[in-house]
Amino acid sequence: MVYFLRRFVFFLGTLWAAVTLNFLIPRLQPGDPAEAIVSRLAGQSESVDPAQVQAIRVMLGTPDGNLFDQYVQYLGAVLHGDFGISYTYFPYSVTHMIGQALPWTVILVGVTQIISFIVGTLLGTWAAYRRNSRVDSVITLGSTFLGTLPFFWLALLLVYVFAITLHWFPERGGYGGGSSPGWSWLFISDAFQHSVLPAVALLITGPIGWIIGMRNNMVQSLGEDHTRLAVARGLSRRRVAITYGARIAILPNVTGFAIALGGILGGTVLVETVFNYPGMGRLLLESVSSRDYPLMQAIFLFTTVGVLVANFLADLLYGFLDPRVRKVESA
Amino acid sequence: MALLEVDHLSVTYTPRDQPANRAVHDVSFHLSEGEFVGLLGESGCGKSTLGNAVLRLLSPPAHITGGRVAFDGVDLTEADDEQLRKLRWVDLSTVFQSSMNSLNPVIRVQAQFADTFAAHKVPGDVTERATELLELVALDRRVLRAYPHELSGGMKQRVALALALALRPKLVLLDEPTTGLDVVVQRGILTRLAELRRELGFAVLFISHDLGTVLEMADRVMVMYGGEIVEDRPAAEMLREPRHPYTRGLLGSYADPRLPDVRVSYIPGRPPDLSRTHAGCLFTTRCPHAEDPCRTIHPDLLPDRGGLVRCLVAQENRLPVVTLGSAEAATVLGSHFPATGSLDRPADAADAAPVLTVERVSKRYTSRRGMRTNTVEAVRDASFALRPGRVTALVGQSGSGKSTLARLVTGVERPSSGEVRFTGEGGADVRVDRLRGRALRDYRRHVQMVFQDPFSALNPTRTIAYALSRPLANFAGLRGAAARERTAQLLESVGLSPAGQFLDKLPHQLSGGQRQRVVTARALAPEPRVLIADEPISMLDVSIRAEILELLGDLVRERRLAMLYITHDLLSARLLADEVLVLNQGTLVERGATREVIGSARDDYTRLLLDSIPNPFGKAAGQQTLPST
Ligand SMILES: Nc1ncnc2c1ncn2[C@@H]1O[C@H](COP(=O)(O)OP(=O)(O)OP(=O)(O)O)[C@@H](O)[C@H]1O
Ligand code: SF4
Ligand SMILES: [Mg+2]
Repeated sequence: MVYFLRRFVFFLGTLWAAVTLNFLIPRLQPGDPAEAIVSRLAGQSESVDPAQVQAIRVMLGTPDGNLFDQYVQYLGAVLHGDFGISYTYFPYSVTHMIGQALPWTVILVGVTQIISFIVGTLLGTWAAYRRNSRVDSVITLGSTFLGTLPFFWLALLLVYVFAITLHWFPERGGYGGGSSPGWSWLFISDAFQHSVLPAVALLITGPIGWIIGMRNNMVQSLGEDHTRLAVARGLSRRRVAITYGARIAILPNVTGFAIALGGILGGTVLVETVFNYPGMGRLLLESVSSRDYPLMQAIFLFTTVGVLVANFLADLLYGFLDPRVRKVESA
Repeated sequence: MALLEVDHLSVTYTPRDQPANRAVHDVSFHLSEGEFVGLLGESGCGKSTLGNAVLRLLSPPAHITGGRVAFDGVDLTEADDEQLRKLRWVDLSTVFQSSMNSLNPVIRVQAQFADTFAAHKVPGDVTERATELLELVALDRRVLRAYPHELSGGMKQRVALALALALRPKLVLLDEPTTGLDVVVQRGILTRLAELRRELGFAVLFISHDLGTVLEMADRVMVMYGGEIVEDRPAAEMLREPRHPYTRGLLGSYADPRLPDVRVSYIPGRPPDLSRTHAGCLFTTRCPHAEDPCRTIHPDLLPDRGGLVRCLVAQENRLPVVTLGSAEAATVLGSHFPATGSLDRPADAADAAPVLTVERVSKRYTSRRGMRTNTVEAVRDASFALRPGRVTALVGQSGSGKSTLARLVTGVERPSSGEVRFTGEGGADVRVDRLRGRALRDYRRHVQMVFQDPFSALNPTRTIAYALSRPLANFAGLRGAAARERTAQLLESVGLSPAGQFLDKLPHQLSGGQRQRVVTARALAPEPRVLIADEPISMLDVSIRAEILELLGDLVRERRLAMLYITHDLLSARLLADEVLVLNQGTLVERGATREVIGSARDDYTRLLLDSIPNPFGKAAGQQTLPST
């Protein structure tokens, strides 16, 4: 119990630190990012709502104002999910834009991450179980080879073969011109068609890290004394591999996986750019290239919170999976 | 047909980046039903490799390169996985060398019993059976619910033993089952093991480097050297007349610390490099009886007076005769090896002014758990003094507060009450318990430590010269050529000579004893006045322990160092120390001149420590002398 409580306090602490940093950084920047945005918005159209200007100021800073008051206002805004308006996508609010992009990323990257993790762990386990056999060589060498290929090259190859040459799948985008987002069959099947190539690209490279990690951890845990003793006790090879090998080898990967899942809130810039996919990664890229501070700030905050939450959940899970940490922490 | 038959077994390690290593060579022996056989030898001689080969647990780069192992008539070297699996644990079980890691850390003890029963389809209630087994090794049933990391080293070892007996095997292979445990705990486990064997009648192959324990426990002892068996005979016979010079050397490192005159010997030199081929006897370079033929003719293991021995000179009956069975065994046995005895130091040292005085010192640790605070008194009201040219031994079980006292003396920790005073060169007193910052750093050069583990005390990637140059630069401001010269002197002073040969070596290129010498030289670098040695020999092979003790004794005498020698080994305390302090749960329960304290211990706890020392000669004496009443 102490372990979990401690983890929770730690989580709250880091969360607070992240949110506060996000408040401080634009204010510490030379110049006045808020002012830059406001004047650029004003140049773009006449009808800038003063309330919106105010929202931007709350997030990015007022040149002369009590820092503490600003901080309180900022925290209030963050709690309400009010991050001001986007400069690039004026007049849409930042929250609106993120709401648009997030599902694309979460579904595409989330699903492929989960599949990658499962496939990677299984393949890694298999390779370690059969270490130094042909299966092991094929899996290890194969994944090492794929790992050395540049991702964008792989993605472009997919596009070239399956979209441009064979016309099996659309080349780019999240959905076609013929459908519009909604719960219609047409849209869902269309979106699925569009997601196949990016998903395949992610699934080719995704499991590599898990395979190698799992194999190495497990080869190590299979060499441990308790595993050798399990063999000496006459336990079957499978039993030894599962309870004594894989059960321990997977532990470090659990944390890695949770963090990877948390990270998807930030999107995967490379895939989304290559496939012109309307997710968080592309949104981030655009906000950076047009110096859209409100959008940037919100995405960074989002990503950090995602990673922190995931990390916290991983810690909890780890506590259940590995009795040793519970003890060490509470002792 | 014997229960276990090992015939001409050879095992070779063929690592990718190193030359092949012939760890076990042409080993043959039989072990009968119910027999207790000891396998003895120093570190690296191939004991564990042989054990693992018998269990068919070798993994690459180790390979059986010849011979066979048969258990109960089944050839294990030919058996397939399923045949092996069925036989394992039911007939042949084991306790590993490092049982600290031999339980799965993420499942409960109960699950590990359950696994074992399930693998062999043992019917019945797991909890009930496991509880019975734990009772055998004197453990509470609550242990079943525990995870391994919640148990102490001794408890884990008992669990491992209970697990080994789970299916009532015919043979249990114990690989150093108690090494690394506290003497008292060790004694408890071994006593229980002997009782269980009498009750259950299983055979034992007991691997150890601790000759005292092996001779005391085993019916028959096999001595291994450089991957070969060099002597094999009944324990009682071996005690009466060991026939191989190596066995004699090993026996020479034992003695009863209660005797009026205690002498032990050591075997100089290092074991042979098994990645090279050797023409003659492998022991030649260390053997005091070596003759010319030994260098060219490899002796065979031949019958000799009711046993087997692999020595040309012994086979021709030309070894000096020693008939033993008396308590003076060690003295006579070791007489051909360099020896060290309980040291005589100038009497004036006894009343020299102390360099370090500890007065009524207590140390409390408070730990908070939830709402409750827990106070542990690690040291309670301890007083003693260290004098130049004198060794004070601090003896006690693990957890008795020895290391806490050492930390108080070095100023790493401050006492909760009491004083620690250091008397400097000019006679001015320094209150160690009040030092801070720079003053504390200055003080530390006068008080240096030698640690238990010479393997982790040195940075594996740095040369010996570098390891010694650090303290020289920090404390004496020596650099460059001056530092190198001083380093060489230091190495010579700890017996690493010629120093030039060692300066540019890396730690792994040295033997354990040589490393401990380097660690000692490093401690001497700042010219300290007090040396604190925390179990400096417990990780070393028995055959070289005496050598390090002798070195420490000489240093104390020559440099008039004051030494605090921390140990749980009363024999070494007897050899090295002038004065003994016995610590039990933070309190000094007994103190006085070493010989008196050990010879006529008054405190129960001191006597317990004494009784925990393996004493092979006690067995021999017991078998030889008629009841004196
Ligand atoms: N994995 C390995 N690769 C190469 N050589 C090895 C390996 N394991 C052990 N050896 C070598 O085999 C020899 C025998 O080792 P083994 O572990 O059997 O000794 P031991 O007698 O059990 O020693 P200890 O008392 O330290 O346990 C040693 O020379 C050692 O260096
Ligand atoms: S054969 Fe020679 S060198 Fe070897 S042990 Fe015997 S006497 Fe010593
Ligand atoms: Mg061993």
